[in-house]
Amino acid sequence: MKWERVRIPLMLGPTMAIITILFFGSLGFGFLQSLGYQPQIGNTGFSLDAYYAVMFSERSASQFWPGLALTLWVASASTFISAALAVGLSLLLRRTFFGKKLAVFLFQLNLPIPHLVIAVGMLLLFAQSGLVARFAGELGIIDAPRDFPVLTRDPYGLGIILAYIWKEVAFFGIIVMAVLQSLGEDYEAVAQSLGANRWQRFRTVTLPLIMPGLMSASIIVFAFTFGTYEVPRILGVQHPKMLPVLALEYFLNPDLNARAEGMALSIIIAVIVFALVFLYMYVSARTVRKS
Amino acid sequence: MTHLAIRGLTKRFSGQTEAAVADLNLEIESGSLVALLGPSGCGKTTTMKMVAGLLEPTAGDILFDEKSIINIAPERRGAVMVFQNYLLFPYMTIAQNVGYGLKIRKVDRAIIDQRVSEILEMVRLPGIESRRPSELSGGQQQRVALARALVVEPRLLLLDEPLSNLDAHLRFELRDLIRDIQQKMGITTVFVTHDQEEAVVLADKVALILDGRLRQYADADVFYKRPADEATARFFGGQNFISGTSANGTFEAALGSLKLPSDAPEGTGILTFRPENVRIGAAADGENTLQAKLTDKIFLGTQTRLKLAVGDDIITAIANPNDVEGYLVDQEVPLSLPPATLWVLTK
Repeated sequence: MKWERVRIPLMLGPTMAIITILFFGSLGFGFLQSLGYQPQIGNTGFSLDAYYAVMFSERSASQFWPGLALTLWVASASTFISAALAVGLSLLLRRTFFGKKLAVFLFQLNLPIPHLVIAVGMLLLFAQSGLVARFAGELGIIDAPRDFPVLTRDPYGLGIILAYIWKEVAFFGIIVMAVLQSLGEDYEAVAQSLGANRWQRFRTVTLPLIMPGLMSASIIVFAFTFGTYEVPRILGVQHPKMLPVLALEYFLNPDLNARAEGMALSIIIAVIVFALVFLYMYVSARTVRKS
Repeated sequence: MTHLAIRGLTKRFSGQTEAAVADLNLEIESGSLVALLGPSGCGKTTTMKMVAGLLEPTAGDILFDEKSIINIAPERRGAVMVFQNYLLFPYMTIAQNVGYGLKIRKVDRAIIDQRVSEILEMVRLPGIESRRPSELSGGQQQRVALARALVVEPRLLLLDEPLSNLDAHLRFELRDLIRDIQQKMGITTVFVTHDQEEAVVLADKVALILDGRLRQYADADVFYKRPADEATARFFGGQNFISGTSANGTFEAALGSLKLPSDAPEGTGILTFRPENVRIGAAADGENTLQAKLTDKIFLGTQTRLKLAVGDDIITAIANPNDVEGYLVDQEVPLSLPPATLWVLTK
């Protein structure tokens, strides 16, 4: 009995230890660096100078606040649009039609493709010198490739959002399709039988039923798109830069003193993501309690 | 109050050679309660889903009050279906579940609240408006599902195995409740069941469907007295089938000549009679009396089942345990088959 009680913790122990050391270790180390603790260059004191410098110094504030706004916009738009598209496509793919297996395969094809490849693909396709612009020019839809709308390396992050949508729709799709499959169509049949039209069924039955899965996936996608730098590094502009790109540049700066600012920025990103996730969990728990 | 007519209804699923429902014809009187009875996979739920509009028929027509509704969207047919597994919306309260159909119709909030309370009272679940489906038992959930369907006052109420997920005493309780409400509201009701007892007790008329085909549609007692064929008789617990010929009111078989009721069909066929109609021992008198040998006797609690050999034919009888207490296996026993209880199934 005693053995049974400790067996599972013991079995989980090695994995938990690795996760704890890697996660909390790196987070702790990064946090110490963000406080200026870098013994290798003789800084052994602690201060919030790096945080202040990133957010309020004349040099960095003009980068930080527009970058924060852009990051929030890109992460929110990517998450929302990917989720909406995935729900629509999953509902379409639930129906029986000729070539359904091929359609599902194509829908999920993006999943194993790295974000970097997607970003480069976006550039090749949708840049003003890209394939789509050239074809549009050849077909006479636009006069010259330069007339093609700026969809990559644009100040609004449209290219970045498109790349994330391209990639994350498949991720959302897998989750939504699994939820829809496990639910079946009987709940919707009940609603239909009670008089609900297609839109009413979607709004009052399908959406509330898939919402828990959709929200979990949204948290993952939002946190990822908020904190990752590959796609914005390739498809973004010099100003404003998304926060993860700024953090990377601080970190790669040959001046080791800038590393504290890079770490401070990374910690800020982590805090914002955690805060938004907790806010979501608090709001959803409250909504459940209230309803 | 809606008259339902099903004409030549057929459903063939893609990739299947046999039709799930084949050329089904049924007339259901306005305000009646009809059971679609049959074993699992016989096509009864498929039929119900086609009536509700949730499945598209391959052929045939469905008419409400002599008007075809085949091209009318399910949400506008007024045929509300209650599913076997309740399917209450888990994220809504009971009041929201019950009032769902009214809210969809944009009925005033105050009226919805009032109707919800009334209907919950009717299904004997008053005061549970603010509870969640997960807080209710299976029987309560099924009653809420019934209330949710009734609140919109449907033209046709369709119940898909409404009692099969419930334990015995809840089944009896809900059976009575369904019957009471149906009588009170007068809604034409069709329910699907695989349980013949449930069909017989609850329904005004029973439609027996086997292998996608309607075998017999009649009052419940007809299935016991005048089954349409051997499969129907067997489905209703028939165990005695003796080959022979019916002519001039007499059935000639290896076990002898037996007098038949006056309306018995004539020709080569199978004689059938119910085990509970076989009279044994002192009760065996009058016409159609035979001498048999008791080959098996099994006590079933409230009944005793007996196997009796008459020549090469084996007759199964069911008797009151007290009446056959003294009989032993291998003993000679007289039995009689009252003519009114016999029926001939011609081929």
